[in-house]
Amino acid sequence: MAELALVLIAGAKFGAIYALAALGLVVVHKATKTVNFAHGAFAMLGAFSSYLVVVHWQWPYWMAYVLTPPLIGVVAALIEFLILRPLRRADMFTVVIATVFLGIALSEAFRLTYNTELLAVPGMFVGMPFVFHGVFMTQETLWVIAGALVICVACVLLFRYGRLGRGMRAMASNVRGAQLCGYSVDRVYMFAWFLGGAMAGLAGVFVAPVSGVSVELSIAIISAGFVAGVIGGFDSLKGAILGGLLLGVSESLAAAYVSSALKNCISFLLLFVVLMWRPEGLFPETVARRV
Amino acid sequence: MRRGPLHRIALALAAAALASTVAPSAMAQEAGVSDTEITIGAIGALTGPIAFIGTPGRDGMTLAIDEINAKGGVCGRKLKLNFEHASTPAESLAAVKKLVEQDKVFALVLASGSTGAAAAADYVRQVGVPTYNLYGSTPIIREPFSKNVFHGAIVPVEVAAPGLIGLFYDDGHKPQKIGVLAGTYAFPQATLKAVEAHLKSKKIDYALEQFDQSARDFTSQLVSFGRQKVDSVLILGSFSEAGFAIKQARELGMANIRWVLDGSAVSRAIVPIIGNADGIRGYFNNPAFPGQNDTVREFEARLKKQLGSMPQGRPNNYDMIAYGSTYVIADAITGTGCQLTRDKFLASWSSLKNAGPKTMGGLDVSFPESFTETDHQGNYRLGAAVVKNGEWQVYRVIERP
Repeated sequence: MAELALVLIAGAKFGAIYALAALGLVVVHKATKTVNFAHGAFAMLGAFSSYLVVVHWQWPYWMAYVLTPPLIGVVAALIEFLILRPLRRADMFTVVIATVFLGIALSEAFRLTYNTELLAVPGMFVGMPFVFHGVFMTQETLWVIAGALVICVACVLLFRYGRLGRGMRAMASNVRGAQLCGYSVDRVYMFAWFLGGAMAGLAGVFVAPVSGVSVELSIAIISAGFVAGVIGGFDSLKGAILGGLLLGVSESLAAAYVSSALKNCISFLLLFVVLMWRPEGLFPETVARRV
Repeated sequence: MRRGPLHRIALALAAAALASTVAPSAMAQEAGVSDTEITIGAIGALTGPIAFIGTPGRDGMTLAIDEINAKGGVCGRKLKLNFEHASTPAESLAAVKKLVEQDKVFALVLASGSTGAAAAADYVRQVGVPTYNLYGSTPIIREPFSKNVFHGAIVPVEVAAPGLIGLFYDDGHKPQKIGVLAGTYAFPQATLKAVEAHLKSKKIDYALEQFDQSARDFTSQLVSFGRQKVDSVLILGSFSEAGFAIKQARELGMANIRWVLDGSAVSRAIVPIIGNADGIRGYFNNPAFPGQNDTVREFEARLKKQLGSMPQGRPNNYDMIAYGSTYVIADAITGTGCQLTRDKFLASWSSLKNAGPKTMGGLDVSFPESFTETDHQGNYRLGAAVVKNGEWQVYRVIERP
């Protein structure tokens, strides 16, 4: 039983990070109908920012959590303003290709300026793990699971009840109608990218001590976030969170009880099954009705 | 007029004489050799998960070549390095073909680890280009024996495996059960095969778990080790994989484990990941770890000067191997008596004794290498290393079993 609990906790830890990554992707998609494939690169920049704050400048750890999200949010909003706004009338493939290459460009820029294999970032908490009935848990693990999930819930609430959140939802439902209600497309789109970037930045800060900072982090985050988003339902914030947790836990359980070599394979198997069985995702916000 | 046999013999002799006068100029046209330069081609990953092998390969070779050229080069010619990025098997084969067929290099260096070496193996045997396998432990590049393929500091897996297992028994430690945590990609799998064979032959109890390349979550594997009462763990993978596995083991309460790492994980970069890494052991392919003595400190200073700033975790095993191996190539070229044909070069290389940086005034950071006509493995020695006060140190040399 203790063994199962350890496996579930590990799955939840990675699942919470996947959820945060998926949430940023879904926020941008929901408001702007753009799948942002540069999202992983934003998370990598967030992780790098936490390396700079914690290791390079040796500032207090909490400053990484405070400074990184707005910083990466501003970077994302600027990219929306400079690159994606001129492409707004282009077809969907042009925009998708633009985000793919934007992600590659950001990753390569990082690699060229900081030519190293992996930058290690220490955890926010140090010390011995808690032991409860044979189940070990560190403060770091608790912080990642609880912190990431609290932020996810806060984001859902902001999207549901905040003024700009309402604007994004209105824009997602009907752009023309939202404009007639007085919402500015430019402002709402920019805020959606800011929020998506901030979420990616936060995911980067959470993941930095768990995975280190490397160019590969960009791919790891976008793959996990994308799969979690599709599993949960790409139009559903709640689905992104649940999809992330489900993905993390499934990977962990498969590795523990089927084969450790199956860990990566299970995410794609899950994606395939969901797309075949429920293409709208497991927790969609809109309900399909037979007419 | 009818021509008799004498006339034909005279013609044949005249043709032979003509050929002998033409031969020296033909020799000067050997691929990759000009009056001023000798071009060496090399492949290795400069980006991606195995860039920690290829990038130091390029930098170590460049440092040695700059030093050799500053002293006048070899046989009155400067050495020139054409380094191609290659990560996947397809990229590796394409890069090797480009270097041989388009760039027409004199010799080829595989600074790419087992993946690239395995991909290029058949091709380099087929075309016969002199090839130096710097880092590949895979048997695919080593077997069958080929007169044009040489291997340097990285010992065959059959030699590394007993060395690795032997580290569990240092200082009177007696492991009850060994957990083997191995990557599913080429080079850990090559070592794993030999490790399993050795463990079975010695009737040592062990448990095997595997992980994918660049894995960061090892909970399931570690939980399995805990269930099987493993008290010692061997990790076959990169420093980042090993670092996160050990970090997670401590978070799961796995205390008093003896950790032994494959040579590719023995790097300074593992220490910041783990925090307190003291007591972790592994083998190193050079006689001293960076920072351990004046020679390697001088090497580090020269590399830092060349790179501008030293990336985290560098210099590593691969910087030092590439540097030492480049001097071995220079020794082999010198041994031709400056008759720069590939045949003379292969003959010279096959008779090298104790070659390395020392013979040409370089820094002696690698084990000296010796070759024979029938044995192209230059080195059989390993350095047993342990982390003390946050720094790796080689504490004994493991000789060939």
